Amino acid sequence: MRTDTHTVGDGAAPLPIREQDLQAEERAEDQLIMHLERDQFVAETARPVPRAALSGSAVAGLWALRVFVVLVSAMVIYTFVVNLR
Amino acid sequence: MTPPELATAGVGQPLLSDEDHARSRDRARVHHARVNRRRWRLLWLLVGPGLLAMLGENDGPSMIAYASDGAQYGLGFFVPFIPILFAMAFVCQEMCMRIGAVTHRGYGELVLQRYGTVWGWFGAADLTLTNLVTLVAEFVAIRVGLAYFHLGAGVAVALGLALVLFTLSGGRYWRWERIVLGLALFNLLFLLAAILVKPDVGTLAGSLSFTPFPGGGFNTLLLLLASTIGATVTPWMIFFQQSASADKGMTPADVPHGRYDTALGAVIAAICGIGALIAGAALLSHGGSGIEGFAGAGFPQGLKRVAGSAAGAVFALGLIEAGAVAILTISASTAYAAGECIGASHSFNASPRNAGIFYAANVGVALLAAIVILIPGAPLLSIALNANVLATVLLPVSLVLMVMLANDRGLMGQWVNRRSTNIVGIAVIAFVGVCGAAYGIDSFLQAVHVVGS
Repeated sequence: MRTDTHTVGDGAAPLPIREQDLQAEERAEDQLIMHLERDQFVAETARPVPRAALSGSAVAGLWALRVFVVLVSAMVIYTFVVNLR
Repeated sequence: MTPPELATAGVGQPLLSDEDHARSRDRARVHHARVNRRRWRLLWLLVGPGLLAMLGENDGPSMIAYASDGAQYGLGFFVPFIPILFAMAFVCQEMCMRIGAVTHRGYGELVLQRYGTVWGWFGAADLTLTNLVTLVAEFVAIRVGLAYFHLGAGVAVALGLALVLFTLSGGRYWRWERIVLGLALFNLLFLLAAILVKPDVGTLAGSLSFTPFPGGGFNTLLLLLASTIGATVTPWMIFFQQSASADKGMTPADVPHGRYDTALGAVIAAICGIGALIAGAALLSHGGSGIEGFAGAGFPQGLKRVAGSAAGAVFALGLIEAGAVAILTISASTAYAAGECIGASHSFNASPRNAGIFYAANVGVALLAAIVILIPGAPLLSIALNANVLATVLLPVSLVLMVMLANDRGLMGQWVNRRSTNIVGIAVIAFVGVCGAAYGIDSFLQAVHVVGS
C-alpha cells in the first residue's frame, strides 16, 4: 500500500493520495462484498440456527432407526471379520 | 427471501474475513455473468459440487464393483439398473445442494445445531468410519491401476498424498474445485475402455430389458444390490455436496443451475459406470470371475489378454483416476464434517492458519488410509469389497435427517421439498434401508451358521 501523502489536482483542499487510495479500496471492497448475501458472511453463518422442537414420535423413530443401523453395521463388520479367517 | 431461522438480528455490517473476500470475488463473477445474460459462462461458474459428488462416487471400489458385475453376470440387469441408481442419487444430491444454497451451511453443522449434538456426532462418526474404509479402498484402486505399470504401493501412497497437498495449497475453493473437476473428467476413460473392448451392440440393446437377471443365491443378489447401491449413493456425498455448495457461495438464485450441475454429474457418472460394466463384461466369455479373481493388476491384465494392451492400460489409468479423485473429495467431506461439528472454520477459502482443523482433517484422514495400505498382509481387497456395503448400511440415518432438513420450513422457507420429492426420497430411503439390512442380516445368519449359504 502507498504511504505518501502528496496531493493531486488543482482543486480546493484535495485529498491526500493515501486517503484517496483508501477510499477507492473501500469502494471496491463494498462493491465486491455486496455480491454476498447477508446470511452468507462467515460472521453470520457462525451463529447457530435455533434448535428444532422434534415430536416424541420423531425422536423415537430416529432412535429406533439409529439402533437398527448400528446393529446391522455390527453384523456386517462381524461377517467381514469372520470371512477374513 | 431469507428463511426465518436464518434472518439476522443485527443491523451493522459484519466483520469481514478472508473467506468472505474470496467468496465475494467468486460471487461477483457469477453476478456479472447473470446480469450480462452469459448463460454458458454462468453454467461454467456454477457447476462443480454436483459433478464432483457424482464423479467422485464413481470411485475405485465402485468401478471395480461395476466391472466385477459385468465379469460375473454380463450386461443384463445392470445396464438399466445403474441409471436408476443415479436417478436415486440425483434426488438425494439435489436436496443437499438446495439445503446448502439456501442455508449456506453444511450438513454436519445443520444437523448438530438443529437436532442436537447427539445426532450431529452420530452422523460425523458414521462418516468418519465409512470415509476411512472407503479411502483405504481408493488407495487400493490406485495400487491396482499402478500395478499394471509395474509400480508398487509406495507410489500409490505418494501420488494420493501429493495430490491432496497440491490441491490444498491454493487457499481458494475455486482453485480446488477446478483442479479436481479437471481430474474427474478422466472418468471418461472407462467409456473409452468400453469402446476398446468392442461390445456387441445387439447384446447391449437387449440388456435394457433388465434381462438376464443375475443368477446365484439370495445372499449373492443382496450383496450385488447393496454394493451397487453403495457405489452410487453414500454418506460422504451428502456431507460433501451440501458443504461444497455453501463453500462455493451458492444462493437460492443458483438452485436451477445446481440442479443442472447435479443432473449432468449423474448422467456422466452413469455413462462411465456403464462403461466399466461393459469393459468388465468382456471378461465374461473368457473365464470371467468375481473381483476376488482380479487381485493386484488382474482386471487390467485380464482386459489386456482379451481386448489388447490399450484396453488394459486405459482401464488401469481409469482406476488410478477414480481412486485419486475420490481421495480428494472424500478427504474434503471429512474435513468439512470435522470443522462443522467442532465449530471451527471449514472452508477452502480460509487459510490454513485460520482453518487448521479443516486442513489437518483433510490431510490426516488421507494419511491414515495411506498408512493402512502399507501394512504388510492387510486384507485390502476385503476392505475394498466391504466399503460400499458398509456405506449402504449406514446411509438411511443420514438420508432421513437430510429429508427432515429439506422439509424444515424454518430453515428452507419457500425452498422446502415438494410432495413429489418427499415421496421419491422416502422410497429411496426404504429401498436402500431394506437392501442394506437384508444383506447385513442374511450374511450374519450365514456367518453364525443359522442359515446355509
